[in-house]
Amino acid sequence: MSSLSDTVVSAAINRPLSFKNPKYNPSRRHKPHRQLVSDEQKRLATLTLPVDAVTYFSVEAYPPLRPQKHYCDITGLKGHYKAPSSGLRFANAEVYQVVRTMAQGVDQQYLELRNANVVLK
Amino acid sequence: MTINSEGKKSNVSSGDYPPPVVHPLAEPRVSLKPEPFYDNYQSGVPIAIDIGSSNIRAGLTNTDTPFLNMPTIISRFRDRKLNRMLTYVGNDCFLDPLFKSSIKSPFDGPLINNWDVTEWLLDYSFYHLNVSSQDGVDNPIIINEFMATPASQRKNMYQLLFEGYNVPSVVFGLSDLFSFHYNNRNNTNKSSLILGCGNQSTNIIPVIDSKPLLHFAKRINWGGEQAVEYLSKSIGLKYPFFPTKITTHQFETMVQDFSYFSDDYLAELDDLMNLEYLHDKDVVLEASFNEVVQVQKSEEEIARQQEKRREQGKRLQEQAQKARLEKLVEKEADFKYYSELKERLLNPENKISKKQMIQTLSEAGFDDVADFNKYLSNLERSLKRARHQDIGENEVEEEPNFYLLDMKDEDLSEEQLKEKKSQKLQKANYEARKKAKEEKLIEKKRKEEEEAQEQSWREKDLDGWIEDKRAKLKVIVDRKKQREKLKAELNDRKSHAAQIRMKNIANLAADGSGNARNSSSTALNTMGNGGAGGNGGARSKRNVKKVTIDNDPNDTFGANDDDWMIYKDIANFEDEEQLEVENSELKALEDLLLKYDPSFNPEDLFNSEYNWKKSTLHKFLRGAYSFDPEDQHQQHQIHLNVERIKVPEILIQPTIAGLDQAGIVEISENLLLKRLPSSNFYNFNDNNVTPDIIKNIFLTGGVSKTANFKNRIVREFTSFLPSGNNLQVNVAEEPIIDAWRGMKLWSLSDSYKNSFITRKEYDEMGPEYIKEHNLGNVRL
Repeated sequence: MSSLSDTVVSAAINRPLSFKNPKYNPSRRHKPHRQLVSDEQKRLATLTLPVDAVTYFSVEAYPPLRPQKHYCDITGLKGHYKAPSSGLRFANAEVYQVVRTMAQGVDQQYLELRNANVVLK
Repeated sequence: MTINSEGKKSNVSSGDYPPPVVHPLAEPRVSLKPEPFYDNYQSGVPIAIDIGSSNIRAGLTNTDTPFLNMPTIISRFRDRKLNRMLTYVGNDCFLDPLFKSSIKSPFDGPLINNWDVTEWLLDYSFYHLNVSSQDGVDNPIIINEFMATPASQRKNMYQLLFEGYNVPSVVFGLSDLFSFHYNNRNNTNKSSLILGCGNQSTNIIPVIDSKPLLHFAKRINWGGEQAVEYLSKSIGLKYPFFPTKITTHQFETMVQDFSYFSDDYLAELDDLMNLEYLHDKDVVLEASFNEVVQVQKSEEEIARQQEKRREQGKRLQEQAQKARLEKLVEKEADFKYYSELKERLLNPENKISKKQMIQTLSEAGFDDVADFNKYLSNLERSLKRARHQDIGENEVEEEPNFYLLDMKDEDLSEEQLKEKKSQKLQKANYEARKKAKEEKLIEKKRKEEEEAQEQSWREKDLDGWIEDKRAKLKVIVDRKKQREKLKAELNDRKSHAAQIRMKNIANLAADGSGNARNSSSTALNTMGNGGAGGNGGARSKRNVKKVTIDNDPNDTFGANDDDWMIYKDIANFEDEEQLEVENSELKALEDLLLKYDPSFNPEDLFNSEYNWKKSTLHKFLRGAYSFDPEDQHQQHQIHLNVERIKVPEILIQPTIAGLDQAGIVEISENLLLKRLPSSNFYNFNDNNVTPDIIKNIFLTGGVSKTANFKNRIVREFTSFLPSGNNLQVNVAEEPIIDAWRGMKLWSLSDSYKNSFITRKEYDEMGPEYIKEHNLGNVRL
């Protein structure tokens, strides 16, 4: 490791700081986002809430009601066709050549872009 | 040498368009100076903190702009030399490239999950704001929270602020509403539909008479960070072999600088395949790299090298000619010998019995008559081919004098004998050449005749001739296509073609008689009548011991040349010899048609030069320019075209990215046309009176800086709103810091004074308690 210059070292922040409560020493757990959400779900389930209560889940946007348009998974152009083998959408015969000769697993990577990949659990 | 300068013209030749402007990829982030300290700290003045997943803005509200505006990151690591932990926060993380590897964010998705990092961030913020009070931050805090935030988020923040920093009071609010509050500071329109396009989510919040209607609000789980990630994945798949790694920061810059909302997405997708439009919209980015300079050779040197190569080639050619000639001579001799043998054996005058015949043949090294026949016919065929080869008979030769050959050996001296030997060889050479020449002449004559015939046909009936040639061409092309198709089908084990093949293989391998040799015929008959029967009898007598697939006497597979076709059928590779013949036929036909058929163009050629101007993939990958895979610059270039409009479009059609949520326009339409009117907030029936909310569609958040966002929103909203409405769309002055400014503005109001929670209230009411106000969440 090359040595850091004095200014760079002095820019590092050190504790203790005068404005902090010296006795504050919380015990914490880092919960991933998924767990934070499920904790909230459990908490809300214990409450009796009015129908129109504003919760983390009630403000979530609903699924689209308009018909979904299809786009080519490779180029993003209009994708009128769907490859039977992989389910990838494609724009024309030329792109289909790519879809057909795609290396193993790449089709899943493309599908992952629109959450349509196969997830093994 | 590192190249890459802003706006450098690349040396790509495009044919029709000027070379593209090449943009360099963004340089890594660098901070030159450590973050400064605030010099106007005052105790008791509220501190406003707008913490977002990309940036945190913090400052005392005695100024107009947040003193700190830095990325929400810390970098914490142990320095071995100093032997202590070093912690850098925000912009300071870019003071040295070494810090990059240990950068952490307090956020996981839209929510804070690492409160240790958050604590460091706040430590740093207060420290740089020069908070000088002892045992606590003696300033009220205004801080943002997530819309309809989970209770744990608020609880942790309360805890940290009240217990960690002993702050006197805390108030929470929503960034989007603060931004609206600031931009609406003159109170021109108290109603608004806020589209808050943040880094992690997009909020749609209706406000009627200054009151946010959170139970109508919606959140789309898509923001700037998701857009960047989406672009990065797309580019990764678009250029899987890109030589350098493109950093997240570079993708961020791409999204910020080059993405824009399309006015009409579907129409523009079509337009992008139009070369002129593509040339206009395609963005070329080049990664910096060290160019390997190739040494230019002088003309003289090149000429010398070419000369050398030519001479070498000539020498090789001569050698090959010589070798071919030698072989030819050998073959001629062989052929002569064996045909004589055949004649002798078949000549009835000699009265040779079958047994004798076989014996003679086996002495000559053949298995049986069939073997001999096959060898002979092969020899004849290869001889014919060999005669057509170039064997160096350009120079006109007079017949040499072979006087010694007619004399008897006994009459010759030793030297003459040697001479005779060489003359013998020479004579053979000479005769072989002569024969080859004759053969060639005949061939040439035949060709000329054919050509003349064609010529007269063309003159008499051009259309018919063209039709004939085209039909022939079609047969070849169809065959080629068929083969391609078959080849493709064979890749799939389940296809019909693959199954037929497996069947054939199984049949070949199957034990038992007759399965794979249904086509074999009795080639022995060609040796003369009765030969086959006699032979067969003799053989069966010999081979009584054990019949296996290898020595089955009834197995005549292979006696007929066509038998071997089965292997061609099942072989997975292409017969190159046949392919070559076919290709030359194809080329000849195409050449003729090109020459005489006025409606046959170079584009119609089977192997017509790949025309990138017609290739969707080329245009997608390389823009409206030709691509030279050898060019190091082009190897390091990426083209943004469809991505430029696709990435922002996800906000309007989230299904593009597989997000099962309605887009902002659909949600807004539903809200403005159905849900709000049906709850009697306003209605569209009053003639010519536009509801206030329509007059103030407000865009804020970092993503709202995307180019053409406002125009797109105007277009979309106009299309669904009843005509005659006075639609107005406003964009926040500075989407990134307006929320902080709104906090500052609000800190001066009465509403603020009634909304904050003191330490005492917190202790009393618990960590979920808030007082509802017009810029914050509602209480459950």
